[in-house]
Amino acid sequence: MLYASEFIGRPVADADGKRIGKLKDILAIRHGDVPHPQVVAIEVKQPAGSIFIPINEVAALISLAIPLKKKFSEISQYTPGQDDLHLVRDVLDKQIIDTDGMRVVRVNDLELTRVNGSIYVANVDISGVGLIRRLGLGSLANRLSARPHASELPSIISWDNIELLSGDQPMRLKVPSSKMADLHPADLAEILSDLSRQESTKILENLDIETLADALEEVEPEFQASLIEHMADDRVADVLEEMAPDEAADLLAELPQDRKHELLELMEDEEAEDVRKLLTYPEDTAGGIMNTEYFIVPSYFTASQVIDQLRKTAPEAETIYYIYVADQDEHLVGVFSLRQLVLAQPEALVMDFMEKRMVTVDVLDSQEDCAQVISKYNLLAVPVVDEDKHMHGIVTADDALDKIIPTAWKKRLPRFYQ
Amino acid sequence: MTIWQRLKPIRIRLALLLAVVGPGIITANVDNDAGGITTYSVSGAHYGYALLWMMPLVAIALIIVQEMSARLGVVTGKGLADLIRERMGVRITTLILALLVFVNLANTVSEFAGVAASMEIFGVSKYISVPLAAIAVWFLIVKGSYKIVERVFLVASAIYLSYVASGFLAAPDWSEVGHALATPSFHLDVGYVTIFVTIIGTTIAPWMQFYQQSSIVDKGLQVKDYAYERVDVVIGSLFAVFVASFITIACADTIFRSGLNIETAKDAALALGPLAGKYASTLFALGLLNASLFSAAILPLSTAYTVCEAFGWENSVSRDLKDAPIFFGIYTALIILGAAIILLPIKSLIQAMLISQTFNGVLLPVILITMLALINDKRLMGKFINGRVFNIMAWVTVIALILLAAILIVVTFIA
Repeated sequence: MLYASEFIGRPVADADGKRIGKLKDILAIRHGDVPHPQVVAIEVKQPAGSIFIPINEVAALISLAIPLKKKFSEISQYTPGQDDLHLVRDVLDKQIIDTDGMRVVRVNDLELTRVNGSIYVANVDISGVGLIRRLGLGSLANRLSARPHASELPSIISWDNIELLSGDQPMRLKVPSSKMADLHPADLAEILSDLSRQESTKILENLDIETLADALEEVEPEFQASLIEHMADDRVADVLEEMAPDEAADLLAELPQDRKHELLELMEDEEAEDVRKLLTYPEDTAGGIMNTEYFIVPSYFTASQVIDQLRKTAPEAETIYYIYVADQDEHLVGVFSLRQLVLAQPEALVMDFMEKRMVTVDVLDSQEDCAQVISKYNLLAVPVVDEDKHMHGIVTADDALDKIIPTAWKKRLPRFYQ
Repeated sequence: MTIWQRLKPIRIRLALLLAVVGPGIITANVDNDAGGITTYSVSGAHYGYALLWMMPLVAIALIIVQEMSARLGVVTGKGLADLIRERMGVRITTLILALLVFVNLANTVSEFAGVAASMEIFGVSKYISVPLAAIAVWFLIVKGSYKIVERVFLVASAIYLSYVASGFLAAPDWSEVGHALATPSFHLDVGYVTIFVTIIGTTIAPWMQFYQQSSIVDKGLQVKDYAYERVDVVIGSLFAVFVASFITIACADTIFRSGLNIETAKDAALALGPLAGKYASTLFALGLLNASLFSAAILPLSTAYTVCEAFGWENSVSRDLKDAPIFFGIYTALIILGAAIILLPIKSLIQAMLISQTFNGVLLPVILITMLALINDKRLMGKFINGRVFNIMAWVTVIALILLAAILIVVTFIA
């Protein structure tokens, strides 16, 4: 395995043995489907400035001195393009995202590998051994790397599994690959929280609305607010529409009054209405954390009508494991589970197989009460009603437990200087 | 339109300013730490007003340096250690950080010396006060949060005004003070040059740039906040130098005049008693205690943060005690070492404190040259690189600092 650090700063000499400068950078470019960039040229530092020499004019990449194949005067220089990745300038020592380990790490060295006469960037070294090698203590590094290490996460990451931060990328690569969008929103949220505000903002800018909404739902409202602070209003409005209304309301509650109203104006009326309603309830009450997208049917429906209805409208709902039943005056009169529905005869009437004994919470009950009710009765969600038994929403188990059992993200220490 | 509405633009601006301020003012306050207070006291007690003339110049230099650090922070969104690592590579980073850790350890020692000295004025043995302070500081950060620390100390910043009060209680001749401010003088003796370099080293300490920039980045400040952040930096710097000047004045007018010889801030506090009244003495001691505790909490934190930032350690998923062993290791080691060294039977604590400030003065030019290289990098800063005038002023500052450090080394060697 070749390490980039072994060549940097080494003298470069032409076929006559005449020294022409020092190796300053290595240029690589991605071709087609091969995820690993191929080395195309080296940058040589001369007193007057840098020159670029195509890699096929380099006789060998060896660590003491780098020989060229021809006389210097016979070599046609390489012209760097916009898509070239300057490995030293753009990658080495920079922070990158390890999309496999879902963390932000710093590049200590780069591993190059030779395949069919071409040199590719194989792996990124983030290990302490890599650091020691960079300090010029190669022999110590070799001795250390011979020992097996017990670390949970690998310290050598394949180029496939990294994502450069956009500021350091050549123009063409600025749109992040689908790698970021493919991550679980919770993992994406973790990564965002590890990056500086400017870098996380850049990543968010490049995500599609849906992924963005999913990721935002996973982070704390305060942090959400700071993430969207610099985003254009119409884009934020789109994201808010995509988010569950309770999450959107939490986010809006963190924003300054003026911006909140502007955003609500920009949102589609229907979604804005839901969110407005939620914003009227105190944050820590059932009303404040409830979700308004639930599934409710009239009591005179048959089981098969319910199933038809489910297929048509349920994709919007947060949970379909409970189906709520209302009478003509829209009072909540019963509930049944998906299991009961599936097991019922198609022509059976809802009012005959629904549960009439129900546990509900009031819109102004505290979040803790909701959690206790959910835990006591082993529910996935509990309906929220007002004094007149009108249903306003549901509180799901995860929303209720959120404050009581902090998620992993909440457990981490705050940024130190905030 | 009511008055309230008419004030809206001003209200919004004020709210924006308040949301942004913090990094500059806090950094400047930590700046007047135990070592700083000792240096300013000794300067006043030994040389009277003779060194007062350099304070406005120090203020300008401080503003130049801290403004660059703030600009680097808002434009790049990265800490100083982060930038040094990305632009200068591993070797230079390791060298600078090794020096910084050493100097910050020396500074931490001097903070605990300050705790010991101030509590001794109130009759508490250092064998009780120092371990207690170390434990309190450690728990505050590890078990509490920086937010709490910041709030406690922002309020405590008001205590710095106690030095201004001490200065007034010493009843100086203000026309003489004004005259001294405008009359430069320089002597080539070891004591004078040492205190000269030390004043600069303690006022423009190297950790400040790292600390301020990281807090700006963590606060998420961006280019649009830059105008406000600059206000924060300028006010903070002026406040720091203002307080420093009053410490010098308080000691000059009492101790220097009466011809007493003091070596420590504690001596200074005690000497102030009979000369300027009991309150001046107590105020001075309280100020010293507050400053020492504040800095003893923040210096180790800043050091650990800087090192981890540069080497990319524990930036991973969660950061608690178990998952961030290096961060908390460095933090804990600095506090334990800092406190332990003070408890060793070392004859002169003050020597330790002054030496740490001298190291600051020597490391500073290295950091400043690095900062200038970064801030003039067009690829990094875009249109926010230094202007010509600013660059000239910055380079004059750097060269003056290098010359002073060199003179200090030569003079010390000859002596």
